[in-house]
Amino acid sequence: MDKLYFLFKPTRVINWMYMVQKAPFILFFIFLTLSCDIDDSQHQRYEPIPVNIAVPAVFSQLLPEPQIPSDNPLTQQGVLLGRALFFERRLSADNSLSCAGCHRPNEGFSDQRRYSVGIDGVAGFRNSMPIVNIAWNTKNKFNWDGSANSLEEQVLEPVTNEIEMHNTWANVVATLQNDANYLAKFEAAFGSPTISKELAAKALSQFIRTLVSGNSKFDRYLLGQTTLTPLEEEGLAVFLDENRGDCFHCHGSPSNPLWTDNDFHNNGLDENFIDLGLGDITGDPAQFGLFKSPSLRNLAFTAPYMHDGRFQTLDQVIDHYSEGLVYSPTIDPLMKTVSQGGVQLSLQDKAALKAFLLSLSDPSLANNPAYQNPN
Amino acid sequence: MLNKSLFLLLLVVCFAACETNDDPIKNTSVSIDFSHRFNQQAVTSNNFNALQYTNGFGTTLSLTRLRYLISEISFTNQQGIKTLVKDYQLIDVGENTGMLIDGITLPEGTYSLNMRFGFSQTANTSSIYPDLNAASWNVPQMLGGGYHYMQMEGRFLDLNNQESIYAYHTISAVQNPGPDNIREDPSIALTLGEINITQDAIQINITMDIDQWFENPNLWDLNLLNGMLMGNYTAQKLMQENGQTVFSLQTN
Repeated sequence: MDKLYFLFKPTRVINWMYMVQKAPFILFFIFLTLSCDIDDSQHQRYEPIPVNIAVPAVFSQLLPEPQIPSDNPLTQQGVLLGRALFFERRLSADNSLSCAGCHRPNEGFSDQRRYSVGIDGVAGFRNSMPIVNIAWNTKNKFNWDGSANSLEEQVLEPVTNEIEMHNTWANVVATLQNDANYLAKFEAAFGSPTISKELAAKALSQFIRTLVSGNSKFDRYLLGQTTLTPLEEEGLAVFLDENRGDCFHCHGSPSNPLWTDNDFHNNGLDENFIDLGLGDITGDPAQFGLFKSPSLRNLAFTAPYMHDGRFQTLDQVIDHYSEGLVYSPTIDPLMKTVSQGGVQLSLQDKAALKAFLLSLSDPSLANNPAYQNPN
Repeated sequence: MLNKSLFLLLLVVCFAACETNDDPIKNTSVSIDFSHRFNQQAVTSNNFNALQYTNGFGTTLSLTRLRYLISEISFTNQQGIKTLVKDYQLIDVGENTGMLIDGITLPEGTYSLNMRFGFSQTANTSSIYPDLNAASWNVPQMLGGGYHYMQMEGRFLDLNNQESIYAYHTISAVQNPGPDNIREDPSIALTLGEINITQDAIQINITMDIDQWFENPNLWDLNLLNGMLMGNYTAQKLMQENGQTVFSLQTN
């Protein structure tokens, strides 16, 4: 009786009733707390680890820090996702072509075909541009014609280009969204399971910024680790001599190991232009026929040469600057000898220049394990 | 009473004196803007590429590129104390970059403004400025090394009234180009005059009169001197002489 009274004592009954009344609220509160715990653990999982670009010693000595946009810092997870996307054929409409299909690691991240061929078997009209050392492109103009103002903008275009991947970003996003592996990768990289083309572009850009080439024979020469042959040394002299090669204004020097000025020039290829280059983008007739100077790194792997791949060999390139320049209204004033058809190099100078140029190639680029297909 | 008055007077003088000493020295925000003219006409990137200028020699010409380097930008007050505000500045008129230096704060006062066109001999050391290396602003060792001072390029109508090209590049003056070259320093120390800095903010305008590069004191014949000028010792010395009257100061 006492026990019964204890349990059902009026005040205690009121307390129980109060508890029962409030139970849903308490349960809801507990649920909320648990939910918060779950969310927190998800947030804790989203900890992309910052990474830095592996800067070659020569670059550290001579160049500014790589340029990384503040809204797309490099992370381990972002770079890994970008690498997977770079080699992902499902970016194309028929699942046959990836970025690496036209920017091949063993071809200097370029394409040894004059024109890359898209998924419909249609060839483009420019040679694939090498995409290494992009993180030092401080001018932020990308492509041969400067049509993209950031790397994040540039990587979006090939997916929808009718000649290239001929896809839509909506399709790509849907494809990736249905792949649990990619869902996890996007979540790890950006803390969101929702995939978007903007996040894909960020990841691709992160990976491309890690593509660094700075281990050529000439780099090692600059570091005092090797010597040049007499022919290579003479070639360097030709390259730097204003009265012979005069190459340094547009293509760097031992002080600028990017071997490009990342600027746009008309280098005397044509009297009349089929392809307007930069002028096609800006509409400015003064920029008709101007194309971006490519880096001279990895020429051993990146033939053919020029924006349209018209020269199959380095000898043809050197012959062009020596005897093949033609005048046009937008010719670059740095083509100082255009009235004589070029810089008129001797056969010895040509051979030396070629030997030097080849010393700028970096065979380790193709074999870098961080640049291989992870899929 | 007299003692009290004297005491009060002394107190007032003291307070007045203290007020004067406590007055904070007013700082002024200063910016330096670089502008460009040809025969008194303003030149911007919008005016590039058109054959619209006539130099002192009578040659019609255009500009397609104009980049130059200014260094040792400093203000010196009347006590002789020098404030260095920028080691160097690369100005690219075509790209509209480097044409404004802001964020300078100086106490009110009168200052002389000094800068240098190009680098001094000691500052002009090869490869030591990463941003200039990336901008391909270097000069090969065989031409004296270091960096360019100016790259002015464009087209002109030659003696046959045909369009031709010029690259008016200023660097160190080098005798005997090659491994054993002898380098001289033709950079130009610019004493731009006195500036009275008293307002809250002041913008100082440095104007480059481009036409002066072609005429004062040496009339420049682009038909003869239009390229391969970097290793041309005489041309570099002529450029240095013409550069003396190129820059001037204006305040707004």
